[in-house]
Amino acid sequence: MVAFRAVSIRYQGGVEAVEDCSAACEPGEITAIVGPSGCGKTSLLRAAAGLLHPSAGEIAAHGGPVAGPDRRTALVFQDFGLLPWRSVEGNAALPLQLDGVSRRERRRRVAPILDELGLSAWRDAWPGTLSGGMKQRVAIARALASEPDLLLMDEPFSSLDALTRESAQDFLLALWRKRPMTIVLVTHSIEEAAYLAGTVFVMGGRNPGRMRARFSIPANAAAARFLPGAPDFRSDPRFLEACRDIRSALKGDAAPGVPA
Amino acid sequence: MMRRLPRWAGMALALAGLALAWQLAALVLDRPFLPGPGAAAAAMARLLARGDLSTHAGASLRRVLLAVSISFAPAAALGLAAGRSARLDAIVAPLLYILHPLPKVAFLPVILVALGLGEASKVFLVGLIVFSQIMVAARDAASRVPRETVDAVRSLGAGRLSVAFLVIVPASLPDLFTALRVSLGTAIAVLFLAETFATQTGLGWFIVDAWARVSYPEMYAGIMALSLAGLGLFALLDLAERLACPWRSRRPY
Repeated sequence: MVAFRAVSIRYQGGVEAVEDCSAACEPGEITAIVGPSGCGKTSLLRAAAGLLHPSAGEIAAHGGPVAGPDRRTALVFQDFGLLPWRSVEGNAALPLQLDGVSRRERRRRVAPILDELGLSAWRDAWPGTLSGGMKQRVAIARALASEPDLLLMDEPFSSLDALTRESAQDFLLALWRKRPMTIVLVTHSIEEAAYLAGTVFVMGGRNPGRMRARFSIPANAAAARFLPGAPDFRSDPRFLEACRDIRSALKGDAAPGVPA
Repeated sequence: MMRRLPRWAGMALALAGLALAWQLAALVLDRPFLPGPGAAAAAMARLLARGDLSTHAGASLRRVLLAVSISFAPAAALGLAAGRSARLDAIVAPLLYILHPLPKVAFLPVILVALGLGEASKVFLVGLIVFSQIMVAARDAASRVPRETVDAVRSLGAGRLSVAFLVIVPASLPDLFTALRVSLGTAIAVLFLAETFATQTGLGWFIVDAWARVSYPEMYAGIMALSLAGLGLFALLDLAERLACPWRSRRPY
């Protein structure tokens, strides 16, 4: 679905954000890119969204190279990127408005999404009056309104408190299981990557950052985990083991994963 | 905790305090050039009844409103564009840095010669000042719009025009209103000066004329009218901002 092939990204002024990064994200799966601050993981995501161009290598999505923003790709920002001057509904309906959908039709199509995300009661509220967790749900509603095949998320849960973060993660999993959607998320949280992703890429270094290792967490893709009454995966030994492996790869120990 | 004073009560209190200070100063000085607020108010009532004051106030207000409405939109558009486009800013910024700090009033004689003694010269001068202040504010406001907000809309496939109208303009509106408030003060000050030259209408002329006639109560009536006109314009701006930027103050429900 998304493939990074030997991607290097250089900023104006010559600073190299990432160098020679390759990663393949499976269609319909959740992939996490983990790394310390400044390793260039956000730059990779922005490049996948078509917001910046690699200085070398290629990024492919939707069966072709990424040349610019694509309507089949949605990006959720770390600070949510909501427009403060638009109501919750106005923010969620933005992709439809850009497509020239009429106001009535926008209302009709956004309503079930707001409903699904528990935002219906706040349809007319300004984002500035909402809590962080709700702002993030508005950002996700906006992403879902464009019915994307590919959802890119930049540190989506990092500004939420611990409990809100855990329920937001479960919420994301529930949304994902209802849709044929590929998700790539960037995070610095080891637990978040190990909890959500079927595949985890670990990055390291700084200016430029590089891919260090790749881990598979098959349990995350298995349906058994989502059966009603299934125990919390956060206390599963496989989860703890994945966390330990990712942590040691981040620290730069001899990587137990597959070299990326 | 003390409850907040309603707006009208705060305004009344401020007016009463000013009148009291004025009255005290008049009593202490006891000179003809500072009559008390009572005498000034009486003169104002007389002038209003005769219709003089409203004619002059109307002339001044018309000039300010005309100048602001002509210069605001092009100044805001050019400033916002310069704030977002490095290529445009390379041309605009040097001009702005050279021309903005110049006191535009210094060109009053030239403007009077070029545009004549009529309305055009006054409107042009005030408009020039509003233009440069709005442009400076618009340029700063546009360049401060967070990259993430712009990228969020760009990532949805928005082009430059959509980004301008969906992001840059609304994000800059509050700053533009602040700039309007600031430049309104300057505009009234400059208008006063312009109206003292070669005209027989406007509050500026009226005040200087009353001064020449040694009619101090009427002079203060003119000053009060000028301040009331300013107050009215500010109230109008507040209303416009509340309507244009509802997310800043109120919830829509």
